[in-house]
Amino acid sequence: MTTITTDDPAPALRASPWSRLSDRLNPILVREVQQAIKGRVFPLTVFATLVVCVSIALFAASRHSEGADGRGAFYAGLATLVPLVIFIVPMHAYQSMRTELKGGIVEQLLLSRLTPGAVLFGKLQTAMVQFVLYVSVLAPLLATTYLLRGVDLPTILLSLGFAMVLCLAATAFAVSSAAQAIVPALQGVASLGIALGLGIATFGLIGFVLSGTYAMAIGALLRSGHLWPAVSALVLLAAYVTVLSWLAARSFLVHAFENKSTGFRVFLFVAPVFAYAWMLLAIELRYWSEVFAGMTFGMTLIGVCFGAFMVTEQRGLSPRVRAHAPAAPALALPATVLLPGRDRGLLCYTVYAVALLLVGMLGWPAWGSSTEAKLLGRSGLMVLVYGLVYLSIGRWLRGRLADNLQGNHIARVMLPLLLFLCIVLPVVFDLLVSDRVRGWHLGHVMNPFWTIDQFVGDRWPRAVPVLIAVAVLMFVLQLPIAGRALREVTAAIAARRARAAGGATAAAAARAEE
Amino acid sequence: MSGSLLEVQNLDRSYGKVHAVRDLSFTMQRGQITGFVGPNGAGKTTTMRIAATLDVPDGGDVRIDGVSVLVEPRLARLKIGYMADQFHPYPNLDVLQYLDFFARAYGLRGDRRRRTVRSVAEFCGLVEFADRPATGLSKGMGQRLHLAKTLLHDPQLLILDEPAAGLDPRARIEFRALLKELAAAGKGVLISSHILPELGEMCDSVVVIERGQRIVAGTIAEIQRHQELEQAVVARTIGDAAPLQRFLLTQPHVGEVAIDGARLRFAFGGDDEALAGLLAAVVQQGLPIVEFARAEADLEDIFLKTTKGRLQ
Ligand SMILES: Nc1ncnc2c1ncn2[C@@H]1O[C@H](COP(=O)(O)OP(=O)(O)OP(=O)(O)O)[C@@H](O)[C@H]1O
Ligand SMILES: [Mg+2]
Repeated sequence: MTTITTDDPAPALRASPWSRLSDRLNPILVREVQQAIKGRVFPLTVFATLVVCVSIALFAASRHSEGADGRGAFYAGLATLVPLVIFIVPMHAYQSMRTELKGGIVEQLLLSRLTPGAVLFGKLQTAMVQFVLYVSVLAPLLATTYLLRGVDLPTILLSLGFAMVLCLAATAFAVSSAAQAIVPALQGVASLGIALGLGIATFGLIGFVLSGTYAMAIGALLRSGHLWPAVSALVLLAAYVTVLSWLAARSFLVHAFENKSTGFRVFLFVAPVFAYAWMLLAIELRYWSEVFAGMTFGMTLIGVCFGAFMVTEQRGLSPRVRAHAPAAPALALPATVLLPGRDRGLLCYTVYAVALLLVGMLGWPAWGSSTEAKLLGRSGLMVLVYGLVYLSIGRWLRGRLADNLQGNHIARVMLPLLLFLCIVLPVVFDLLVSDRVRGWHLGHVMNPFWTIDQFVGDRWPRAVPVLIAVAVLMFVLQLPIAGRALREVTAAIAARRARAAGGATAAAAARAEE
Repeated sequence: MSGSLLEVQNLDRSYGKVHAVRDLSFTMQRGQITGFVGPNGAGKTTTMRIAATLDVPDGGDVRIDGVSVLVEPRLARLKIGYMADQFHPYPNLDVLQYLDFFARAYGLRGDRRRRTVRSVAEFCGLVEFADRPATGLSKGMGQRLHLAKTLLHDPQLLILDEPAAGLDPRARIEFRALLKELAAAGKGVLISSHILPELGEMCDSVVVIERGQRIVAGTIAEIQRHQELEQAVVARTIGDAAPLQRFLLTQPHVGEVAIDGARLRFAFGGDDEALAGLLAAVVQQGLPIVEFARAEADLEDIFLKTTKGRLQ
């Protein structure tokens, strides 16, 4: 310790209660509050909200004497809340993250003990504080409408609950979009995406609330008994977006050699467990067939999206990941699926596809009798095989590019481009050769959308052998790749054990010397 | 702990075709101030950013107190204080609030946090500016705040990228004293700067790089000996210096003689005895001499002699 941090003999500064309380809070939250108090935007927004609310309340009260109830006022208040919590709060989080990234402040943050998770979490907490503040500004209005007997308590609580969940998810999305901008090439895309996404969501929701559709929907929901499935689905969805945003933000903020992949891969496998559990717990038996088929099909698409990122990573384990490989040899197999690297990524997708196939084989006999379920099941199967083909190509393509982060980004742009070309080129060819697009032919086989549409119906029996053959072929082609992926992991495990044994021997030798 | 505080091992880093750092190695001990010099674009910032875990090399490694920045970046981060060549504070925060925030971010809590913030602010001379907005500081005050932030978590190794740029002369002298105090407390300081006389004054050793490669490293005296730089002698007479110049040129061991106003500077290849003889001869000649001394070891000379001024 130096002169700087030795205990200062000067009389200890007296800790204010705020200072003591703030010790328990996330530093980001503390700072944002201090900044908000000093800044101008936040007090202005709160003041404007207050003015709007009071006006609405006064208007409603004056109308009440004419016999109108407080319903209109409530939804007007709700429509005021929507832009605040869906646009202003997330945009604030986005802006503050952008400021940090632009000035290189984020590097100063990352050098501290704050983890990227804590940074994101601090921003989410800040959003929640703002949310509570805006709601308390709205509280007099809500109380007025309640007293005017326009709305009942469940509607008020449910609406606020929805608003909070949406606010959290939108903020998480906004912060992770801002974090992507740490890669300069993605800055424009991120800004556009966030402004468009939040803007559209806000206008859509305001329209939804003001047109009275929301009132009808929530009334119907409260009466129907579907409240629990709907609310739980919404909460799960928001949780999904939040966790995914956290993983994405983290992957852009941590040191380049940290493990960014395992979180995503575990999430890929865990999320379906929650989804199926939700179905078993929250959905009535008579809807299981549709819900099961729809969810399982959705999971095939999600798997391909995750796969596109997994097969475009750098190949090898970074020094850090290698040094932190699991110590137990028994963990070699799961580690081979879950640790970073594009070879392991392809293997991970394959394992996921097989797992989904098994789940489907268990579920379809029970719930797959309806025509729609059958079609969805077949489509899902084809999506999985197409995924295997495209991801194998993607992995190969990635191998042609430079082995750095830029290479990953380029490959992630090239893979969708490849899909686009595979769809468009045969069509252009048809147009050039015969002046019109004829029906499906073999040239369109790499167009998943059209091919799936062609074969899930009556021609399904013709597709099955081809699907099996392709799947087996891709599987066999993958074996040497998977072998290499496994060998790298086992080598890392062996090296770690050797180091540990070496350390133990050295320690024993030191003890013996004493 | 034994071993070096900082070990740069065969570091390589390219940006496309630009080979910013190539096969760079050097070490640094505790309690030392090491100057890191080189022309613009030599790769100083790149090396420092890699050592600070903010960039990754294509090859090689950096160990801080034995911890590899590639294998244990999180552990390494706690051992270093990195002061980047640019400083961007948060808007709408006071100087003290700014320091307080980073103290929290470094996990300091309660009284310890308050005491640390206060003593660091005092150490860096920021107390008077405690409630100024952090964005409204002058360049020099900003540098002090930046340094204060860097010191909060009591790092073992300070990596300072051109910290003295923009400081006024008094602030620079104070800054130098601060660094010496830190080194005396056992910390290592790796500092890059283009202000060589000053760096030479405070550094125990220097590393000179050019186009990403190490040119020389060691203490200034060692490098001088190794580079066989001729020792310079400075002399001053009353009135016209030309007679002294003419006389010196007739004497043994004397190289080039340059006149700079009333002063003369000449290269001298002989030892101390020869130098004493020379002085006696000058006095005997009746030349009105008032100053006669070997010039201090000079980092600028080393820099100019070893680097070739090739930029990249
Ligand atoms: N992000 C980057 N992208 C491309 N090239 C870079 C990048 N960073 C540094 N370089 C290049 O690497 C070389 C070394 O740069 P660096 O900033 O390390 O030099 P420096 O020694 O700090 O120079 P200065 O004294 O001007 O600060 C330069 O040629 C520079 O153009
Ligand atoms: Mg530089």
